[in-house]
Amino acid sequence: MIIQSQADMVQHIFSKRFTFLLPMFAIIALLAIIASLFIGSYPISANEIFQAFSGSAQPVTQTLIFELRLPRALAAFACGAMLSIAGVLMQVLLRNPLADPYVLGVSGGAALAALLVMLMGLDVFFITSGAFAGALLSIFLVFIFAHGKGGWTVTRLLLTGIVMASGWGAIISFVLVIAPPDKVHGMLFWLMGDLSYDRPLLPGYLILVTGFLLTLPLCRHLNVMIWGEHQASSLGVNVSRLRLSIFFISSLLTAGAVSLAGGIGFVGLVVPHFVRLIVGNDHRILVPISALAGGTLVVLADTVARSLMAPQQIPVGVITALLGVPLFLYLLRRSQ
Amino acid sequence: MSIDVRHLSLAIGETHICSDLNISFKPGEFWGILGVNGVGKSTLLHTLIDIDAGHATQISIDNVLLSKYKNQRKKLAIKTGLLLQEYEYNFPCSVLEAALIGRHPHLSNWQWESDIDINLASQALAQTNLMHLKDRNIISLSGGEKRRLNIATLLTQNPDYYLLDEPTNHLDLKAQIQILKMLKHIFSSTQKAGIMVLHDPNLAYQYCDNILLLFGNGKWASGKTREMITVENLSHVYDCEFEAIHNNHNQYFIPLHI
Repeated sequence: MIIQSQADMVQHIFSKRFTFLLPMFAIIALLAIIASLFIGSYPISANEIFQAFSGSAQPVTQTLIFELRLPRALAAFACGAMLSIAGVLMQVLLRNPLADPYVLGVSGGAALAALLVMLMGLDVFFITSGAFAGALLSIFLVFIFAHGKGGWTVTRLLLTGIVMASGWGAIISFVLVIAPPDKVHGMLFWLMGDLSYDRPLLPGYLILVTGFLLTLPLCRHLNVMIWGEHQASSLGVNVSRLRLSIFFISSLLTAGAVSLAGGIGFVGLVVPHFVRLIVGNDHRILVPISALAGGTLVVLADTVARSLMAPQQIPVGVITALLGVPLFLYLLRRSQ
Repeated sequence: MSIDVRHLSLAIGETHICSDLNISFKPGEFWGILGVNGVGKSTLLHTLIDIDAGHATQISIDNVLLSKYKNQRKKLAIKTGLLLQEYEYNFPCSVLEAALIGRHPHLSNWQWESDIDINLASQALAQTNLMHLKDRNIISLSGGEKRRLNIATLLTQNPDYYLLDEPTNHLDLKAQIQILKMLKHIFSSTQKAGIMVLHDPNLAYQYCDNILLLFGNGKWASGKTREMITVENLSHVYDCEFEAIHNNHNQYFIPLHI
């Protein structure tokens, strides 16, 4: 009977956690996006925002909200959500809570392509699609080389990714050195995460929604996969198929995030880690809440990035790193 | 009802594990597999449930070829469960949550763990003397406690065929006896089958009904424990002299130090 009552308690924790936490994180995300409309170099009042949504505000305010701040906040949200889901997936794939979406070199390929496009002086559309193509190329190369003759191992995958990433890094440095000085500033900005320019949102959101919907049915299998491939296999998981799915979905999401905003560090590492501490290891809860929390973090970080030293902008990646590094060190010190 | 192996020849590289192995593991039986390090005991155990291996057509489980389970992996995981030699502990989680993983094949994708599942996991933790640690982080467990947790996870999975790769690893002598006694009781009282790789011929002699000996070079022998575990056979398997000591209708085998 004692066992029975303890079991009841656990049951409540399992189901109530989700019904309580999901709306809570959704509301926080919404509040963050609303806050980002108010805050900035030109303060806007609540009244003006209401007027803007009913279409009766001053044209300047209207433009500021609908063409600058809202699209920017939405881009930031999509970017953070994609990086966080990719982070969760990468941590399961490599069975290491310290893995992040960039660990397999996806962002390096994207960055190099984006920089080459900037060097040629093409516009935003080409930068975004170039970054996406670069990311896909990098994913493909890692996949081919990591597979090798003896199939996949975690170590081989990780090594291939890290070597690829440093290769990309070297070529990126070379491009920065030979680039004309007037272009270097924009390039550095992009490398550190740039949400300042106007970009199409639809492709990013399509990738986010697709990636999220593809991840959801895998979540229960992810719960078992963290125990290793043999254990997962003996519990009925098709391990080789799951591994491929995780690899491609996480790479696609990372490519989406990088092409939307350049290299934003630490989100994919810190957010899943932090959410794991709150909600535990059930990925059916972890994935949606990480997406919301990651989106919220980047929205807030970007709001800080554009208003802290306004009109001067700071790359959003600098803010996420400044938040992420101390938080991460703290978490690491606290863990056994 | 049984796991049937027909004409199985297995090798890794140059090492022949078994040639033309024919054997049936039936409900209620507790099997022991003995052999020296590297002879391929674990590989054989893994092969028995490896759907993707080429040998999946030489093994059948409850009269259905192993290869036919390709699209019914969860069904196979309800019939067979595997205790691995070593586990990975990458992410912090509680002991109870870890045991609950065993319910995976029994639940559909969006089914949350219910009271029934949690009761089964709690029961398994009680059977392995871990109930008092159920809220502890697995990373803080000792080697023996982790081993008992692995066994509790398998008990929670509760398959028809228990494949056990050195279940007594890391366990103290008393715990070794407790665990094997408990497993033997489960197998005989609920008509489950146990297939266990073990390095201690005395424990195998005490608890197993049947024995499969792997001699190396593909040679094997199987049969009733009392006929298989003999001084001659053990000397052959382990390539060292053994002596039998008789005590109260029981026999103990000790290797002689030369």
